[in-house]
Amino acid sequence: MDCSLARTLVRRYCAGEENWVDSRTIYVGHKEPPPGAEAYILQRHPDNRIVSSKYTFWNFIPKNLFEQFRRIANFYFLIIFLVQLIIDTPTSPVTSGLPLFFVITVTAIKQGYEDWLRHKADNAMNQCPVHFIQHGKLVRKQSRKLRVGDIVMVKEDETFPCDLIFLSSSRGDGTCHVTTASLDGESSHKTHYAVQDTKGFHTEEDIDGLHATIECEQPQPDLYKFVGRINVYNDRNDPVVRPLGSENLLLRGATLKNTEKIFGVAIYTGMETKMALNYQSKSQKRSAVEKSMNVFLIVYLCILISKALINTVLKYVWQSEPFRDEPWYNQKTESERQRNLVEYIFTDKTGTLTENNMEFKECCIEGHVYVPHAICNGQVLPGASGIDMIDSSPGTSAREREELFFRALCLCHTIQVKDDDDVDGPRKSPDSGKSCTYISSSPDEVALVEGIQRLGFTYLRLKDNYMEILNRENDVERFELLEILSFDSVRRRMSVIVKSATGEIYLFCKGADSSIFPRVIEGKVDQIRARVERNAVEGLRTLCVAYKRLNPEEYEGICTLLQAAKVALQDREKKLAEAYEQIEKDLVLLGATAVEDRLQEKAADTIEALQKAGIKVWVLTGDKMETAAATCYACKLFRRNTQLLELTTKKIEEQSLHDVLFELSKTVLRHSGSLTRDNFSGLSADMQDYGLIIDGAALSLIMKPREDGSCGNYRELFLEICRNCSAVLCCRMAPLQKAQIVKLIKLSKEHPITLAIGDGANDVSMILEAHVGIGVIGKEGRQAARNSDYAVPKFKHLKKMLLVHGHFYYIRISELVQYFFYKNVCFIFPQFLYQFFCGFSQQTLYDTAYLTLYNISFTSLPILLYSLMEQHVSIDTLRRDPSLYRDIAKNALLRWRVFIYWTFLGVFDALVFFFGAYFMFENTTVTSNGQIFGNWTFGTLVFTVMVFTVTLKLALDTHYWTWINHFVIWGSLLFYIVFSLLWGGIIWPFLNYQRMYYVFIQMLSSGPAWLVIILLITVSLLPDVLKKVLCRQLWPSATERVQTKNQCLSVEQSTIFMLSQTSSSLSF
Amino acid sequence: MTWSAAARGAHQPDNTAFTQQRLPAWQPLLSASIALPLFFCAGLAFIGLGLGLFYSSNGIKELEYDYTGTAGPGGCSACALADRGRAPPPPCWCAWHFSLPELFPGPVYLYYELTNFYQNNRRYSVSRDDAQLSGLPSALRHPANECAPYQRRASGLPIAPCGAIANSLFNDSFSLWHQRRAGGPYVEVPLDRTGIAWWTDCHVKFRNPPPVNGSLALAFHGTAPPPNWPRPVYALSPDPNNTGFVNQDFVVWMRTAALPTFRKLYARIRQGNYSAGLPRGSYAVNITYNYPVRAFGGRKLVVLSNISWMGGKNPFLGIAYLAVGSLCILVGFVMLVVYIRYQDQNDEDEDEE
Repeated sequence: MDCSLARTLVRRYCAGEENWVDSRTIYVGHKEPPPGAEAYILQRHPDNRIVSSKYTFWNFIPKNLFEQFRRIANFYFLIIFLVQLIIDTPTSPVTSGLPLFFVITVTAIKQGYEDWLRHKADNAMNQCPVHFIQHGKLVRKQSRKLRVGDIVMVKEDETFPCDLIFLSSSRGDGTCHVTTASLDGESSHKTHYAVQDTKGFHTEEDIDGLHATIECEQPQPDLYKFVGRINVYNDRNDPVVRPLGSENLLLRGATLKNTEKIFGVAIYTGMETKMALNYQSKSQKRSAVEKSMNVFLIVYLCILISKALINTVLKYVWQSEPFRDEPWYNQKTESERQRNLVEYIFTDKTGTLTENNMEFKECCIEGHVYVPHAICNGQVLPGASGIDMIDSSPGTSAREREELFFRALCLCHTIQVKDDDDVDGPRKSPDSGKSCTYISSSPDEVALVEGIQRLGFTYLRLKDNYMEILNRENDVERFELLEILSFDSVRRRMSVIVKSATGEIYLFCKGADSSIFPRVIEGKVDQIRARVERNAVEGLRTLCVAYKRLNPEEYEGICTLLQAAKVALQDREKKLAEAYEQIEKDLVLLGATAVEDRLQEKAADTIEALQKAGIKVWVLTGDKMETAAATCYACKLFRRNTQLLELTTKKIEEQSLHDVLFELSKTVLRHSGSLTRDNFSGLSADMQDYGLIIDGAALSLIMKPREDGSCGNYRELFLEICRNCSAVLCCRMAPLQKAQIVKLIKLSKEHPITLAIGDGANDVSMILEAHVGIGVIGKEGRQAARNSDYAVPKFKHLKKMLLVHGHFYYIRISELVQYFFYKNVCFIFPQFLYQFFCGFSQQTLYDTAYLTLYNISFTSLPILLYSLMEQHVSIDTLRRDPSLYRDIAKNALLRWRVFIYWTFLGVFDALVFFFGAYFMFENTTVTSNGQIFGNWTFGTLVFTVMVFTVTLKLALDTHYWTWINHFVIWGSLLFYIVFSLLWGGIIWPFLNYQRMYYVFIQMLSSGPAWLVIILLITVSLLPDVLKKVLCRQLWPSATERVQTKNQCLSVEQSTIFMLSQTSSSLSF
Repeated sequence: MTWSAAARGAHQPDNTAFTQQRLPAWQPLLSASIALPLFFCAGLAFIGLGLGLFYSSNGIKELEYDYTGTAGPGGCSACALADRGRAPPPPCWCAWHFSLPELFPGPVYLYYELTNFYQNNRRYSVSRDDAQLSGLPSALRHPANECAPYQRRASGLPIAPCGAIANSLFNDSFSLWHQRRAGGPYVEVPLDRTGIAWWTDCHVKFRNPPPVNGSLALAFHGTAPPPNWPRPVYALSPDPNNTGFVNQDFVVWMRTAALPTFRKLYARIRQGNYSAGLPRGSYAVNITYNYPVRAFGGRKLVVLSNISWMGGKNPFLGIAYLAVGSLCILVGFVMLVVYIRYQDQNDEDEDEE
């Protein structure tokens, strides 16, 4: 019996496994299919619970602690703390325990609070009531109890509780409107269609009688892809099979609009919904600063361990005493992600460089060019629907063609009309034609339809599968919409098949010139091609329009072809593409349109600045080469003297890829071979610029691994070429190729920091791939912004963000990191030296209070404020002079040279503190009454000098003194003094030792102590001052030059101001 | 207000000068033109100070004598030999004779110096109980654990004062004798044994336990002296104000030294004829040799020194000030050269740009 149970389990498991790979079958309303259909396989699906929280009440403490102690610094301090707890140590465990406890607690509270919020949100979502049908009745249930197969009713403005297959709607035509604002940020209404065979079920009873199964793929995160099949079992045994696509799928998180209620069957629930799958966390991006810091931390750990070893060994050599632990104390540091040091920027063109605010410029019909005018802020002035005819007035046959062209543009699109019926009722008159707003996922379409509106043809609406347009005579023409062959980026065209009122069937096709011209058999191809190319060079986006008249037989053929492809469960996309290929041929070319996508405000300025800053800008676009190149010229990515290198399909067809690559690299390298090194650092503007243009096909050839497996060869060559080009334009890129390019550069041998910026869904992959991903909140929805690390409204903000904030951030974070290491070297090294004078007995030099508070309060606030406030040059200067960015390029301030300088400075200062005090105390008294100081006075003297030196060192580094800086720097010195006076001024009843009693005050009562404090501070700061002054004088960086210049300017200005004041007062 | 904040969007920071980084600021620049005068001024000031310090340190006289007994003709070698092996060593006396050709200007201070004595050893320096030393009766009977192994005697009696520092109290004593004329009698120079410890130490930090029936000895009843002490703590001095925990020799000893070679103040000479200093003549320092140092390779010295405003003789400060001052001047000149030389070049560069 056990055996059989096990076997069943195994079988079930295997079946599940099989289904996981394949597809899932859903029994609508949990009704088993009639016998004879397929075997009933029980499938287990998760319930509809959404869990975004990380912790539960029970596992919070262990799990959170585990997470936190995975960080190297935290773990280190935990070990130190534990060691101090276990054995007798010179410093109390509080010394390292308190800061650790503080950090851990604050982090835990923060994370706990965040998780509590997530729990709350989850609960609210999981418990919200859902209506669903049970035995023909409407039942309310909590959302989390929903199961796959349940039939759900959703009312207007409700959010779908899970992914549903749309069965029927209260609207007669079986459609509903949905906004996916919370999914991808697109607030436009999208139309979804109910399954044909079920759209008649309007009541609960009806829907309960439905007997059907759904087969669909296993859940996957792509929001826009879905294939499935529904089998509806009617009274007859033969089930009706219908295809299901993403138009039948209602996603969790979307909201029902403009529809009273809908019925749907749950297919994906809980964590399997597309929304939940999209929440899956991205991998943590790590910054260069963090990496450098970790290396430094490890170096210091090694130094620490070696110090401990030296002392331990020496201790045993010196005297055999019981082993003690080392009291070394280091500082925990933390840093955030950065957005600076970027060496490569990958930018999308449309919507990022350009406004994505399309404007219909002109159309060319049969070689005649039409230009609409009277455009006022994108709105047409009433009555100004005239056309400027550039060419002579066409004849009647041409006029027919012209009207056909306009009709084609009016019909061939997927625009929805948003009619504000209720509120704007009186304004809505069929004549004015401007009360309705067009909504589409493609701004080009809107621009075209609006442009055509200005030319006299107005698209009114789609009603009951009839498209209504208003022609020039203000008559409504109705076309029955038969099929839409929707747009995709591979085909680069779309078509509609419509039936006119007279019964004629037309296919209108609109698409990129490259995809239309080969399919045209008639029309003035040459004239139009010439015009299209001219427009493309001007940077306009061009589309060609063609048509074909179909007779009913042909249409029947097309219908069956499409139906066959649509029902296919496997390779549906491919089959559809093949069908489209067959349908869209033998077209008659009508004309072409040109739409202008204006450059974003200051895009050129931004690109120029970024290039001056030494950042390489790559434009990755799906547009055609000519358009993209024109945009690149317009935004000054390519300048007039830029020599363009082309690596395009056309060129590769002529020569082999191998030859082209080698030729290009020869051109580039010949030049760079003659370069001297300082060209890289200098600003030589007259060097030859190279710009590379590569298209998607060529790129995929380069990326394709060769037969012998040595794929690196071409890539290396390609990278070499790219490295020597100041600008690269990649056109005709598929979204995945964009990510490929980013990855290629990211993993090249210099490991540069990459930044990707884009606005559309096609940029998401590259945004995720780059070190820094920036989303432009644009017209193409918020997908890019949602996946980005930073979101900006305009491309021009990139300039300030990188050159100003990035620069500041880098200056601040690098100072923070280095300074933290520096001040702890100063802190610990005297302690180390002291071991040589106390028999390696781990005697602490400083009092416990000083040990604990040094990093917490005496020296923490100044550097904190520095890292918040520092502006070594003004914002305006940074923005005006982008070349300053070169000073910090390639992690310049965190390189070994700088690190070693800071470390040596720290060691030098520590030596000065310690030996200064040592020689001071050696063998003599320093008071005028002959009394002697002890070891705590010695430590306090060292500590006092140290606190002052370390704080003043930061003061020397500060270039931007706001009142807060003054307050904090002088305040923390004052705090140290006040604290020391207080700490030593009272017998503290809770302490079991009083070793600091009056030590500080006694020290200050001695004149030589003051003198030595001044002397040692001076000596410690001297090398740094010297270095600063000499470097500024001898090898000034660009930043320092600018600082000096500004200083002079401000002096001059104030002089001029004073003079003018004087003169004006004189004139009185 | 909250409403308007919400309307602007929750993620938008407040538009203050702080969050927008627009606080007015002073933007100093450490350039050569500022640094040069700074260096010269600092250099001159330091040299001036250094000269003053150097001369005042040079004016201080110091006389020291190593009485450990391993070398030298003094009688202390006999004592040193006698101390070997036996503990406690038998009392032994020796003397250091010296003569002053001229007045040793006052005030004169008498120090003892120990070398190679690690008072700063951690286990040694924590071995004390400040609560007990502050006269807390409960702590007197129950010394802190840090004192171990000098916490309790084998008999179980608590040790007062407990701990290793107290146990190792320096117990040599000195007296100074003056012979005005050759062959004349030696007159004892009065040594002021008070005021050698910090005032706060022997008046606040160190307190005797409250006397029982007016007797300090009874207050210490039930405690034992540290093992190395020949007499209990309340009998350290016949002076009732200078005995017990507030005995100044004891307090001085309890302030642990920073370095293994250290001096501690023994007495001040400021009374009678000797307030202006030690007149010329022959002198003898009679030493009661008790403290064993040869076991750890240490040395004992007795030091007579006078003191200026800057304390004892210490040429370091003066020399350091002189050196740093000269360095500043030197660097100043180097920078001046660099400044003049490269200023023009920089200007040219800028002109070229």
